[in-house]
Amino acid sequence: MIIFKTYLKILNKNKWIVILYTAILVFFGIFNMKTTETTSTFTEQKPNITISNLDGETRITQNLIQYLQEKCHVKELKETVSIKDALFYREIDYFITIPAHYEEEFLNHQNPSLKIENTGNYQASLAETILVHYLKIADTYNEFLLSKEEKLTKINETLQLETDITLTTKKDTSAFAKSTAFYNFANYSILAGNIYIICMILASFKNEKVEKRTRISSLKMETLNRHLLLASGIFTWVLCSLYIMISFCLLKESMKSIYGLLYILNCFNFSFCALSIAFLIGSLVKQKEAINGIVNVIALGSSFLCGAFVPLEFLPSFVLKIAHCLPSYYFISINEAIGKMEEISFQNLSTILIPSFIILLFSGLFIILTNWLTKQKQRIA
Amino acid sequence: MKNIIEIKNLTKEYKKKIAIDNLSFEVKEGEILGLLGPNGSGKSTTMNCILSLLRYQQGKINILGKEMTPSSYELKKEIGVVFQDVAVFDELTVYENIDYFCGLYIKEKNMRIEMIQKAMQLVQIESYQDYYPKQLSGGLLRRLNIACGIAHQPKIIFLDEPTVAVDPQSRNNILDGIKTLRQNGATIIYTTHYMEEVEIICERVIILDKGKIIAKGTPDELKELAKIEEKVHVETTNLNPKYLEIIQQMANVEEVNYDHFILSIYYKKGQNNLTKLIAFLDAEKINYTKIFSERPTLNDVFLELTGKELRD
Repeated sequence: MIIFKTYLKILNKNKWIVILYTAILVFFGIFNMKTTETTSTFTEQKPNITISNLDGETRITQNLIQYLQEKCHVKELKETVSIKDALFYREIDYFITIPAHYEEEFLNHQNPSLKIENTGNYQASLAETILVHYLKIADTYNEFLLSKEEKLTKINETLQLETDITLTTKKDTSAFAKSTAFYNFANYSILAGNIYIICMILASFKNEKVEKRTRISSLKMETLNRHLLLASGIFTWVLCSLYIMISFCLLKESMKSIYGLLYILNCFNFSFCALSIAFLIGSLVKQKEAINGIVNVIALGSSFLCGAFVPLEFLPSFVLKIAHCLPSYYFISINEAIGKMEEISFQNLSTILIPSFIILLFSGLFIILTNWLTKQKQRIA
Repeated sequence: MKNIIEIKNLTKEYKKKIAIDNLSFEVKEGEILGLLGPNGSGKSTTMNCILSLLRYQQGKINILGKEMTPSSYELKKEIGVVFQDVAVFDELTVYENIDYFCGLYIKEKNMRIEMIQKAMQLVQIESYQDYYPKQLSGGLLRRLNIACGIAHQPKIIFLDEPTVAVDPQSRNNILDGIKTLRQNGATIIYTTHYMEEVEIICERVIILDKGKIIAKGTPDELKELAKIEEKVHVETTNLNPKYLEIIQQMANVEEVNYDHFILSIYYKKGQNNLTKLIAFLDAEKINYTKIFSERPTLNDVFLELTGKELRD
């Protein structure tokens, strides 16, 4: 009990460092979540185009122009402005020249070509998609129908066809994307917080001179380790709970759902693993000055490698292979899986149960390693 | 008196360099045994081997009749150690530090409170109980270090150079505390390279050099090993070198030297030497500001046995 109490006393003596460090980590977590872009609404985009019609008032040409006017912003250019300047300065994205005799050649199946100039950007691609969509339908009916009127009617009918979309899930993906971002960042916050604070306190206990005095006492080293682990566990639990409480404040809706519970369980599981990592490092590190460097290497390094800051799909395959050796990878994979999960089913849950078990295995491994190291150190030479 | 600690044929090597060479000795119940030797003679290594903090290549160590191993937790309850380096928590007060180290042995809180008070009284740091180690002077830190090592009232206490870099007041205080511990029934193993301390507090002394015992016995027994019985020092500024030869020829004189205005004369026998010397100085009208006589010290014994001084 004396070890447990002493641990808490030392933690209390360092309370301002602990509070400041935790506050900074939580702030970065919130900042990271706020900057995560999510899409929850749809706004139709219309590219800016200009049409130069050299074919006159023919029906087929007019029908094409009318369709383009519906789907795009058709701009008239001043006579003093050249097409190249208009494209260069992004006044328009797409310029279409309908050649003379276009209708005549179209109806005679001579494949008339439109002259196109564009900026090559996203808006130009959209304009191209709209134009190609029209031309493919027009070509199809031109091939099989004889009368011009009939062709125009069928083209317009087909263009007006709409597809009904029914959403199979009511899950708000935008809210869950934020939750995933928040909990992915927790990989760094929880690892850094645990390693920094626990190692700082353990450095006092593992100070060479103090440890020597402890080793000659009648206290078993296993008992010392157990008490220190228990006291460290309380700090870990508080840090994890704080992080979860903040997620409840910021992401009420998603955290109230069953998916929120999964995020929380994953966070607690990983916190235990972070505790075991911090405990292992704490038993090796004797100097407080070295802790900052270790936090950077382990917490920051694993966060970058495992996709806490950059989405997993953007990481190169060799990085992902390395990431498989780290518990952070499984923690982040589970968060991503929860975020994308459409419904709670045994199959979906099994995709997160296996990585959860791997995280637990890592925790056990680190604790066993710490105890083994402690036994080895029982005699110093 | 029965043997509390028995060491037989202890040998410890560091990368083929022998630190302790086939060492055997016993510590008797209730005594203060001094392990005396220069730096690197193997005092601390011997202590660390006894405490199972170091592996050793050969030998047997028994404490209270049982073999001492790293997992001898019952034996460890009876042992207190004060290391050469101060080993305390910077984040805890004097009281909290003693409480922690006492708590490693004693679970019962009320018993601990009583023991902590006694330990603080022994080294006289009661008035500093709410101070943090960084607020204490070197001497007070040493006293705290001792209190942390003995608060659980062990039967056997190892003190590894507890007075290194300590002011005279704190040193006297620490030595008084050690005597009190001995009076309370503790057996003490005291390692140091300060021969004066050993002469003051130790009943038996083992002198180590290069990992070997070169002499052992009571301080008086050891002093008999020295060739001289008396040393006389004269502080004088105008000694003509011709007098050195004359003094050398005087009765019982073993050696004479004059260095930094101090004339030192070493006598084989220790009777009436000072009176004769004063008479000689008066007769030759040699002025002197100070003259004093002393018995040989353990340093002289060490010098005699090894050809070097303890502080070398």
